[in-house]
Amino acid sequence: MSNTLSYPELAALLQSRAGVTVDPGDLERPGAEFDAFGVDSLGLLGVVGELENRHGLKVTSGAESAKTPAEFMELVNSSLAAKAGA
Amino acid sequence: MTSRQQGRRAVVTGLGVVAPNGVGADAFWKATRQGVSVLDRISREGCTGLPLRIAGQVRDFEPQSAIDNRFLVQTDRFTHYAMAAADLAVADAGFRPDPEDPFAVGVVTAAGSGGGEFGQRELQQLWGQGPRFVGPYQSIAWFYAASTGQISIRGGYKGPCGVVASDEAGGLDALAHAARAIERGTDAVVAGAAEAPLAPYSMVCQLGYPELSLAERAEEAYLPFTAKARGFAPAEGGAMLLLEDEQAARRRGAAVRAHLAGHGATFTGASRWAESREGLAAAIRIALDRARIAPEEIDVVFADALGVPEADRAEALALADALGPAAERVPVTAPKTGTGRAYCGAPLLDVTAAVLAMEDGVLPPTPNVTEVCHDLALVTDRARPAELRTALVLSRGLMGSNSALVLRRGERS
Repeated sequence: MSNTLSYPELAALLQSRAGVTVDPGDLERPGAEFDAFGVDSLGLLGVVGELENRHGLKVTSGAESAKTPAEFMELVNSSLAAKAGA
Repeated sequence: MTSRQQGRRAVVTGLGVVAPNGVGADAFWKATRQGVSVLDRISREGCTGLPLRIAGQVRDFEPQSAIDNRFLVQTDRFTHYAMAAADLAVADAGFRPDPEDPFAVGVVTAAGSGGGEFGQRELQQLWGQGPRFVGPYQSIAWFYAASTGQISIRGGYKGPCGVVASDEAGGLDALAHAARAIERGTDAVVAGAAEAPLAPYSMVCQLGYPELSLAERAEEAYLPFTAKARGFAPAEGGAMLLLEDEQAARRRGAAVRAHLAGHGATFTGASRWAESREGLAAAIRIALDRARIAPEEIDVVFADALGVPEADRAEALALADALGPAAERVPVTAPKTGTGRAYCGAPLLDVTAAVLAMEDGVLPPTPNVTEVCHDLALVTDRARPAELRTALVLSRGLMGSNSALVLRRGERS
């Protein structure tokens, strides 16, 4: 896996950790919000936990409260980039 | 707190069943009326190497088609059953909640053990891999209140919500709790109980109950009121009902299936079965008194029927104590000998069967039971026709609760 999270990977994680089926393209659409997909903060917390376990890093706190996929991706990917640069 | 409002009365308008002998009220009633026994070897993965062999397992339920995928990931099997049963009850009642008035609908469930299967999986993650591998939904999925919460959130039911944790008899207490909410001003309450005790951890917990039947053969596992009684076979599943204020139901043109006429509850201590005689008799008297009916007006009794000789004797004596001479002729039935006891779900299945029995004018039989060794007019062998206007449902819990509920027939039959 590359060192950035992609929308298809996020969609797969939402499926396995929150049980929510969502099209990666819909996640990427401008103005998309987690609420509209039925993803709650516990679901996002599960995704964060999975990413942290996979990559052995700490995702910036607050990612689980992100309102939009874009915001979530930015927080996760900046954590991944920080680790890669460290 | 608002006190009881004049003229408000709780009635049953919808039935939702997820039971070992059928999903949906029609399938459940067909099997119950025929006296089909579905007690069998437990076949679920991880559950087959334990001394508990025989139970009532829900086999005709496909959670994927009954509920949204995210609830499969986020909730335990006991909540899957409760959510599916709640949907069935609301649909059965033809009920459409008013989106402008979310506070008009509440949710009350009873739970005996919560989500053991989900909890076991996450605890295995904890001990196997560490705390970072425990999923966040563990925080809500195992919990007794999970089913009430999920039904409330998904349905948008923001009226009075609650969970009754008062042992198996809590199934009846939950209906009484919901009825009180209706009397105080809530128009509708989704109420009932469903359990999922057939998972490895949950089964091991039950092995500590001296009342549990460890029989190897299904037809010998659960034979209450007989000389061969050796405990009870457990079951999973249960039922949810839609309860409504009688006038609210009539305003929307819904059929009143049954009236919740009276309820009584007492406590006599864990596994103190001889004492349950007095407790159960008192619960029956309270229920009859609140229903304002005389013992001879009871047309059928759905017995608790634990299957432990001392408990069976206590129940037979409690009926004699509370009903007097009427106890000698009133038909008594225990359809749960064909399904097992679904803990809090068990009295809900009995209430559902009682409503359907009154509508159909049929006394359902007590599967597998033939020679009764107590002074009871137990309906054995096969169903028989009877004019049923009033039913008494009894339930006791292993931890000492005793409850009685009187139902009166509605107008649908």
